[in-house]
Amino acid sequence: MVQKNIMCPNCKSKITIEGNPREKVYITCPKCNTNGFFSFPGEEPLQKTTSNAIETRNLTKFYGKIKGIENLTFSVKKGEIFGFLGPNGAGKTTTIRTLLGYLNPTNGEAFILGKNINDNIVDIKREVGYIPGDLNLYGHLTGRRFLDYFASLRNTEMSLLGELLKVFNVPLDRKIKGYSKGMKQKIGIIQAFMDDPEIVIMDEPTSGLDPLLQQKFYDFLHDQKKKGKTLFFSSHVLSEVDKICDRIGIIRNGNLVALEDVETLKGKMGKMIKVKIKEKPETFIGPENMKIKDGWIEFVTNDDVDHWIKMLSKYTIIDLEINEFSLEDIFIHYYEGQT
Amino acid sequence: MNDVFRFKIAIQTMKNHWKTTIIITLLFMVIAVGYAGMFPAFEGSIAEMMDSDFYESFNFFPHADQMHTYVGFLTLELYSIFWLLIMAIMLGFIAASSISKEIEGKTIDLLMSNPVSRKQIVIEKFAGLIPMFLVANFGTMLAVIGITAALNESLDYGNLIMVHIVSIPYFLAVISLGLLLSVIIDEKMKSSIIMISILVGMFVLNSLSLMAPDYEFMGSFSFLHYFDTYTVLKFGEIDVGGIFVFIVFTFVCLVAAMIYFERRDIAIS
Repeated sequence: MVQKNIMCPNCKSKITIEGNPREKVYITCPKCNTNGFFSFPGEEPLQKTTSNAIETRNLTKFYGKIKGIENLTFSVKKGEIFGFLGPNGAGKTTTIRTLLGYLNPTNGEAFILGKNINDNIVDIKREVGYIPGDLNLYGHLTGRRFLDYFASLRNTEMSLLGELLKVFNVPLDRKIKGYSKGMKQKIGIIQAFMDDPEIVIMDEPTSGLDPLLQQKFYDFLHDQKKKGKTLFFSSHVLSEVDKICDRIGIIRNGNLVALEDVETLKGKMGKMIKVKIKEKPETFIGPENMKIKDGWIEFVTNDDVDHWIKMLSKYTIIDLEINEFSLEDIFIHYYEGQT
Repeated sequence: MNDVFRFKIAIQTMKNHWKTTIIITLLFMVIAVGYAGMFPAFEGSIAEMMDSDFYESFNFFPHADQMHTYVGFLTLELYSIFWLLIMAIMLGFIAASSISKEIEGKTIDLLMSNPVSRKQIVIEKFAGLIPMFLVANFGTMLAVIGITAALNESLDYGNLIMVHIVSIPYFLAVISLGLLLSVIIDEKMKSSIIMISILVGMFVLNSLSLMAPDYEFMGSFSFLHYFDTYTVLKFGEIDVGGIFVFIVFTFVCLVAAMIYFERRDIAIS
């Protein structure tokens, strides 16, 4: 308990109040009956440290009046592969570039390994690797010189370099400007992982890799995950996210519209029923989400498959498909009505 | 924090420019030897010219009236145009594109994914450009000494060395101004062209202020107002205030560049 003498702002009479540090008390002046609040001063709340690898709270970035991202709140747990989904222009790159300190957030805050990105960005980068979406390298350097340069800037042991060079073979003695797109992407991967950072943030890292290399890359990511590393992965290719991610966030027009385990999300979405009937499709009255496309009736249902099959039994069925939702369908669901 | 003093970005900047350094140095050595070597052939005709009104047409350049002397000729032909203007343009051009080219070429994304602060990038880019002009500076000085000795002309070598020492703060000011532009303007060509315009503008301002007394005040906006190679070369007089101006200017530009770069968004287009 703390005692504090304050002055009534209205009649200037002295009032003595009691309260705990940081407590907000309601006061009525005994003389003039003016009401008001008083907040007791106290120590700053403890640094909101967190065991999450990445955490954002209402992270917002406007480019002038144009919205980049708005009120993004999500967290990425240590040791998981987090997929960040959205079509081009949804705000994936803005999110990543704000997280990594290239852009100053308009509002909100973000923590990487418990450190606030506003105060500790240089420290954070010791623990975080990054593959930019629009990867541009120093063309005048050879692959080897480029990696040497970056190793010297990190000033730590390049413990994964040997392994990476075996998996992602690049012509180290050739100048990077002579590299193909795939080679450039490979060296982008190598530089991000070579000092074995705790977190690697990747902006569409598989673009430019052929399917064989993509598979090698997924295997590599799985190995990293087994070692307890955290991977943040943005993509608009749903199949790969489906394949490798534990959890996904879906971003649309700068807002997070879903944040879920991949499996939970699929389960939640129910079944997709596609049916073709001999009668006019319009005569069938399905659930609200029903659509008619190329003569096919399409709708999504959660638990009452039985009900709809019984309803359909009154029609002559030409063809019928009942499918689990794929991530792709989920994605289309969240983007319905958008181009 | 020991990373700050490892100067790896500065060393890489130096390595990136080693060819340019050699080319600029050789170019200025050749120019110095070429112009100074012309003096004996022109000496007589210039002296005749000085008697007529013809030299007035050179008035745009400072100390044109001294053109018939070796020091005057050297100042006019070499130092006032090639050294203070063209060399400044070359260094300014390179400095003004140093960071803007990383932003425009998007390599800044990868550079900044390393544990380096933005302030560090500015300081190290600045430091990385210093060896280039130091090599060109003293290379040119040696060339002037060599050709002067070969021609057997009289020149105070102490004063010559002084010119090249005072050139250091002058070019530091030029580079720091270029660097400031390069953190503000994202397109390297745009920032370099603005830099060149400023330098040429300063040259014109200084010449105008010397020619027309009404415009004298304008000279103080020009770097050249604070560094007169002729008075150093001929009389060994050093404008200490001018050196101070260059040092303060360099410091202000660097701090401004660091603050601006630290706060700005690095957007990708």
